[in-house]
Amino acid sequence: MATPTTPPPGGTTAPGAAPRSGWRALLPGWSPRLGIGLGLVLAIGLFGLIGPLLLGDPDAIDNMGRTPPSTDHWLGTTQTGQDVLSQLAHATRGSLQIGLAVGIGATVLSALFGVIGAYAGGAVDESFSLFSNVMLVIPGLPLVIVIAGFVPREQRGWWTLAVVLVITGWAAAARVLRAQTLSLRNRDYVLAAKVAGERRRRIVIVEILPNLLPLIASQFVYAVIAAILAEAGLSFLGLGAPNTHTLGSMLYFAQNGFALQYEAWWWFVPPGLVIALFGCGLSLINFSLDEIINPRLRLPKAAGSGTGAVAGRSTDEAGTEAGPAPREPGAVLTVRSLDVVYRTADPVHAVRDVSLTLRRGEILGLAGESGCGKTTLAYAVARLHRPPAEVTAGSVVLHDRSGTDIDVLALEKEDLRAFRWDKLSMVFQGAMNSLNPVISIHEQLDDVLTTHRPGMSAADRRARCAEVLTLVGVDPARLTAFPHELSGGMRQRVMIAMAMLLDPQVMIMDEPTTALDVVVQRGILREIIRLRDELGFAVVLITHDLPLLLEVSDHIAVMRDGEIVEYAPAARMYRAPAHPYTRQLLDSFPSLTSARGAFVRGGDTDVPGAAR
Amino acid sequence: MRYYARKLGFYLVALWAALTLNFFIPRLMPGNPVDTLLAKLQQRGGAVDPSARRSYELLLGTDTGEPLWRQYTSYLGNVLRGDLGVSVSAFPAEVTEVIGQSLPWTVVLVGIATLLSFTLGVTLGTITGWRRGSRLDSLIPATTVLAAVPYFWLALILVLIFSSTLQWFPLFGGYDTYLATGWNWDFISSAIYHGTLPALTIVISSVGGWLLGMRNMMVATGSEDYILTAHAKGLRERRIMTRYAARNAVLPSLAGFAISLGFVVSGSIITEQVFSYPGIGSKLLQAVENSDYALMQGIFLVITVAVLAANLLVDLLHGFIDPRTRVTT
Repeated sequence: MATPTTPPPGGTTAPGAAPRSGWRALLPGWSPRLGIGLGLVLAIGLFGLIGPLLLGDPDAIDNMGRTPPSTDHWLGTTQTGQDVLSQLAHATRGSLQIGLAVGIGATVLSALFGVIGAYAGGAVDESFSLFSNVMLVIPGLPLVIVIAGFVPREQRGWWTLAVVLVITGWAAAARVLRAQTLSLRNRDYVLAAKVAGERRRRIVIVEILPNLLPLIASQFVYAVIAAILAEAGLSFLGLGAPNTHTLGSMLYFAQNGFALQYEAWWWFVPPGLVIALFGCGLSLINFSLDEIINPRLRLPKAAGSGTGAVAGRSTDEAGTEAGPAPREPGAVLTVRSLDVVYRTADPVHAVRDVSLTLRRGEILGLAGESGCGKTTLAYAVARLHRPPAEVTAGSVVLHDRSGTDIDVLALEKEDLRAFRWDKLSMVFQGAMNSLNPVISIHEQLDDVLTTHRPGMSAADRRARCAEVLTLVGVDPARLTAFPHELSGGMRQRVMIAMAMLLDPQVMIMDEPTTALDVVVQRGILREIIRLRDELGFAVVLITHDLPLLLEVSDHIAVMRDGEIVEYAPAARMYRAPAHPYTRQLLDSFPSLTSARGAFVRGGDTDVPGAAR
Repeated sequence: MRYYARKLGFYLVALWAALTLNFFIPRLMPGNPVDTLLAKLQQRGGAVDPSARRSYELLLGTDTGEPLWRQYTSYLGNVLRGDLGVSVSAFPAEVTEVIGQSLPWTVVLVGIATLLSFTLGVTLGTITGWRRGSRLDSLIPATTVLAAVPYFWLALILVLIFSSTLQWFPLFGGYDTYLATGWNWDFISSAIYHGTLPALTIVISSVGGWLLGMRNMMVATGSEDYILTAHAKGLRERRIMTRYAARNAVLPSLAGFAISLGFVVSGSIITEQVFSYPGIGSKLLQAVENSDYALMQGIFLVITVAVLAANLLVDLLHGFIDPRTRVTT
């Protein structure tokens, strides 16, 4: 049921647009969970389908009342001597029938209200959404009970029940579908199709529905479970359709036949078990569907826990492989022959044999286009890389002010935690998302101090927080603000302030200004240089903007495909770039001398515009 | 402020919708419920004075030639004044009186059970979601069995094990009937004793949903940038898990409270039936069995109002936890 059948999204889609539009992406990946789930659902489905044909009349009365399981009656008999197994088969069929009918009906309704409303937008969306939300908060089962109470027993057919369950059961799914459609509606490939003048209905069917299918399938599965449970509940209360066999009505008769009091477990345990196992099977199938809908739920193949995995090294042999790093005078951070590999099915060597030396108080520029490995390198130096990334060789040594050398890759958990931010802090690419949206700026700054400087008094901490904010030009009154109340530039300034809280020796800045406009960018960079001059920390500045690095850095390393292709003082790199790739990068920006710069597009060097 | 105003407005609309549904359902259904009711009432020796008849007619609708909108406005007026009619099955008690007696039982039972199950589910979900792929996490699919177990069936099984076989807990009821109801320890302890199994049923059946939702949100939150920042800041694992990940991940769970509460309330109605618990669920079924339409509708209305109120409360809490909803734009 999880395999949707639709035409694959056709050729009108903009190139490289719709993600996961192929057939294979729509099928859940195989896993033991899915296997068990499908097995349970199929087995129970077949039992309901074929069982009634083989097992005889469920209503045939016998004088063998309430007998435990035997060879004649595998699941024993009821109070009136009916065969429980035969009843179970018919009841399973009845329950599945109503579950499927309600599942289909509720899914169609929810798709209608959810997808169309969200796609149409405006007043239609407002009213559809209000309607489904109201239906959602009005409790379903009491409503069904009231309705069933008004319908005379003789007039209750199983389809009456199905209709009522559909009406009370579609709203939750509609809400989920609406949210997803809203996000799909504004994706590039849908906008592209709109601009290309495609008809609305076509856009919904070709561009939006295929991407909603896994979600619709999962909502269908939920609806089936909910319907079977609701019907069982109603029938158990005696409000089901008379003269139909469902698992709920079986339990109703068991309850009224005092199965519980006589401890006739064979009568009331099996029906509930069938419901539970069928629901469990469907839920397991849903797990696989969820992983399609939300790829983040997929477990990375190489299951490492936490961040900063270092392979092939243990504490005692630290640094020996690459040889002890010769300490250059004035160096604060030495990286030697560092290798980082993404251990996926097709391993990617993201950083190869990188060696760098960062001197105290220096700005080291790291340039390269998107995907060259510069961010991976930065994360690996702070041991923040996540599985499947793994450091496979090399050494990272921080030469502390105190004179001791810290082998970063050999740090154990608690030491690593204490090392982070205290010696080496970071400013990340996405300033927008680097701050926790639900706690105030002050709490987020204060967190660092309470953790790393437990001796500090609350007043001192507050003073320090205000001090660093002042340093980066943010009014300390904004401490009480939440991230969403600050502009992008302000948030980045707050991040920089946070990075300075503990007076670290190294600060790694990964595209700190990419998302900001040019004027704010300049201001922040000037601020960084000034602070570096005042406080004397060293900076690794990562960006794709080579001309900018030429302006601010002392040394520059140019990275390509995980390797450093050129590493030289900024002035020399500007005057005489040695590597052809460096020249290419330099040429790809508008020259300062000619009126219109020469843009190099094509070859294997795209204009490094889009970050990451 | 706008957030709260919007929420309040929404719940008013929902309340109005529920009232309207309540008005139209009996009018759309076959049969003439007013006559059925009055006949029953007479059987029990109830005097059918014109005001009682009028009250029923407004509630259930009958062909009196009065325009529908007039009936509708009079009905709304009656409901707002708290006049829900006279119960037939508990004659001569007013519907409001019957509800007043049974409502506290359900509110306390469902309230405590939901609070427990939410706390338990969210806590376990936080931990399993944070320890992705750990042994604890691999147990998660097993919880789906719990979510798929019908409440009442679980109740039957619990009764079989703990009441019939082990005799640890009573078979049914809400308190020891020898005791007089009141705020004394004997009575309260008896109520707790009787309420344990029903509460356990609700907790076991509903905890899986909270757990799974929270776990998935924790996993999704785990890849947010602010979690990476928190790691880079060298914060302790526990602090990152609670203040950075869980604080954000719990928001959708709160937002989805409405859906879950609906399930819990539905489930507990049937659970009450199994335990013959003196709550509003048992009363609803009693009303259905006796064709006590006035009581039926009154209870539906009260349940709806209670659910709406609970949702409103959670929405207010959401606004308190998530500063972004407090934006005054």
